[in-house]
Amino acid sequence: MKKKITLKDIGKLEGQMIDIQKAGLSSLPAPLDDPADEPGIKELTASQKVKFATSLDGVSAIGLIKPQTREEEEELVKKFLSGLKKLLSKENNWTFLQPLMLSLENCAKCQNCSDACPIYTESGRQEIYRPTYRAEVLRRIIRKYLKKEGRLLARFTGSDIDLNYTTIARLAELAYRCTLCRRCAQSCPIGVDNGLITHELRKLFSQEMGIAPKELHQLGTVQQLKVGSSTGTSPKALGSFIDFIEGEIEELTGKPVKLPVDKQGADILLLHNAGEFISWPENIEAFAIIFEAAGIDWTLSSKLVAYDAVNYGVWYDDVQLARIAARHARAAKDLNVKRMMVGECGHAHKAMLVISDRVLTGDLNIPRESAIPLLEDIVLNNKINLDSSRNNFTVTLHDPCNLVRLSGIVQPQRRILKKICPDFREMEPHGVDNYCCGGGSGFAIMDNANFADWRDAVSGRMKLKQILTTFHDVMGPEDHKYVCAPCSNCKGMIRGLLSRYDLTEKHNIRYGGLVELIVNAMVDIKKPFINWDEAE
Amino acid sequence: MWLLLLTYSCLLIFTAGLLWRIYKYASLPVHLRWELYPVAHEIGKPYGGSYLEDEGWWRLPRKINLLGESTVFLREIFFFREYFHSNRRFWSFVYPFHLGLFLLVIWVIMLLAGSILTLNGLGVSATADNFWLQLVYFLTLVSGAAAFMLGTFGTIGLLVKRSIDEDLRNYTAPIDYFNLAGILLIFLTGLLFWILEDPSFSAAQGFIQGLITFKPAAIGPLITINILLSSLFLAYMPFTRMMHYVAKYFTYHKVRWDDEPNKPGSGLEKKLQALLDQPADWSAPHIQAGQSWVEQVKNNGIPDKTEK
Repeated sequence: MKKKITLKDIGKLEGQMIDIQKAGLSSLPAPLDDPADEPGIKELTASQKVKFATSLDGVSAIGLIKPQTREEEEELVKKFLSGLKKLLSKENNWTFLQPLMLSLENCAKCQNCSDACPIYTESGRQEIYRPTYRAEVLRRIIRKYLKKEGRLLARFTGSDIDLNYTTIARLAELAYRCTLCRRCAQSCPIGVDNGLITHELRKLFSQEMGIAPKELHQLGTVQQLKVGSSTGTSPKALGSFIDFIEGEIEELTGKPVKLPVDKQGADILLLHNAGEFISWPENIEAFAIIFEAAGIDWTLSSKLVAYDAVNYGVWYDDVQLARIAARHARAAKDLNVKRMMVGECGHAHKAMLVISDRVLTGDLNIPRESAIPLLEDIVLNNKINLDSSRNNFTVTLHDPCNLVRLSGIVQPQRRILKKICPDFREMEPHGVDNYCCGGGSGFAIMDNANFADWRDAVSGRMKLKQILTTFHDVMGPEDHKYVCAPCSNCKGMIRGLLSRYDLTEKHNIRYGGLVELIVNAMVDIKKPFINWDEAE
Repeated sequence: MWLLLLTYSCLLIFTAGLLWRIYKYASLPVHLRWELYPVAHEIGKPYGGSYLEDEGWWRLPRKINLLGESTVFLREIFFFREYFHSNRRFWSFVYPFHLGLFLLVIWVIMLLAGSILTLNGLGVSATADNFWLQLVYFLTLVSGAAAFMLGTFGTIGLLVKRSIDEDLRNYTAPIDYFNLAGILLIFLTGLLFWILEDPSFSAAQGFIQGLITFKPAAIGPLITINILLSSLFLAYMPFTRMMHYVAKYFTYHKVRWDDEPNKPGSGLEKKLQALLDQPADWSAPHIQAGQSWVEQVKNNGIPDKTEK
């Protein structure tokens, strides 16, 4: 029997702490119940092994380059400690200090949260992925190095973790083995939030040490602030996308529809995740068709940052979060709209409606809403003509964590689906008890080295199981099946899962947003909006 | 007399520690919203919905169900529903353990009530003329006996579980065993003095009367040990994570269920503005050290010094 990993191992164990083997992963239901169907996680190349710090689990999410000298290693330890002090100070971390202190000081270590974590359970219960593991390591480092407990007291309180380069490199990677779905926090009777501790660790690495996954930082928030969007889309390129979308709508509806851009004084500034423009333009088309048909007074913005609802700061950096949130609000202010509205993007909901609510003050404090309640009003109050029989296929709903557990938007999307999809069925569990798609907290867009393999095999495993279980009786390719995921990142993740296991090709499971289903049911649109032939 | 002085001192330390702990959490600055649904004070959304489900929510009056919030909170405190539903085996020890502690508090309150009544010439006993005096007597008896029995059972169960379950053992430090052993000693000596020395808790009440009148009563050796241990443990408690019952108020009401929107012109907005004017002194290259949050937000962190 393999030796169980302990907390002290994080700074002491030589080599790689764990190795994720295919056989150790939880088993999948039919039709993927043959373990041979599991592609596993590809091993890093020799050069990647030399370059990246991967002693945690042989996976590199953040691409941390190994230090070359002892001095560089010591510098990392020094910076980590200075960041830790700032994390615990009122001045530098007022944004989350109260919840952080409460979670650091009060965990009873009962492990009730472990089974709530799909990464822990689906990985074959790997100790290092347990929600309490990284949190407890951090607690013990604080006690030993900041509270400076003597050796004897440290042994008594269990604060005997070595803070060295190895500990830091492993903690940095470990901060990206949690999707911040906060199911663990929901299951804690005391209210301790180990997900928050992960979030704060990420902040320490980014805000003090400049360590963050390139997809979130350089290519994410930095690019968004600099170029306008995390996709790299400039305001000029936006114009081309809009031209394309207008052309598509005209082809579909036979009517020219102009997407309002920078319309002064509109009721609504609609913010889409710019990933939709590139990967799922049909989502933007569908919003435009519905809003046009329902007579909504709305606009898009062409202003830098404001045509992209994303705010990756929410996952790793409060300063970047605030910068982007302020630019979104400034664009709304300049357009003099009555309210800002988020399209189908989960983390933008949490960032814009929940977290940034206490960043935006004064003239930037503009009402912000989700588009889903408005869609509910349009659909349920018959503001557009709908025929549910057009959605004559099986539909299930994936709940983005940011929408349900973290923003409390649970029923409007269900009421819509129940009205327009005759064969709508829930996943279990769902609503605020849902499981993350596996791509949360940036995972869906992160692909350094072999991280995407780890993500698809481990963090997305529970969602894959849920999808397969929900569709178990209609798994034949002749049955059309649709996973509705009203979130760009979740769609990206589900796209990856379906492709990895050939589920679209072999079993006719496809995915998409909520508005696509609404337009597909619109009587006035002659052609089907959802094209199954394309999927097949 | 020494026991009275010790008890007073320990009570004083406990009270000071409790207040310090409450102040410490309460005085932390308002934080960004980090609520977790279901939020118990939402009205008509038992599935975990929020006001964000309502179109134009910011135009609607905000309604909060404080009674519902309190009910959920008290239900969690008194029944440990989360454990009951998710980890029944653990609940079967952790619940009697905590119930033992709650009953211990009730027992002390009953002893105090009985002492005050007795000192005022209204002796509490099973044969007292007055129903209320009888009730105090029986409540004292039942709460004390149940506290010691349940507490002993629960603490032994937790100690055994922590020792044999590898998942728990790996995260349990010597201090955790020490704390549990301390509590076990309190419950166990309580159980013993009740059975062997003081089946009606009259000596315990005598000690409390002594605390009130500052005249020590003659008490047996077992109850002396129990009072000594309880007092010392009380003084030690505020400096440990056993104060999580204080934290629980904050984790639920000030984090998990704190969905108060930042309305323009509100007191909350003013507080936030003051916090945003503070410097954010982080060292990463994209943050300008020393600048306030407001200033940081005005610039975009570019040129980005992180580019290697």
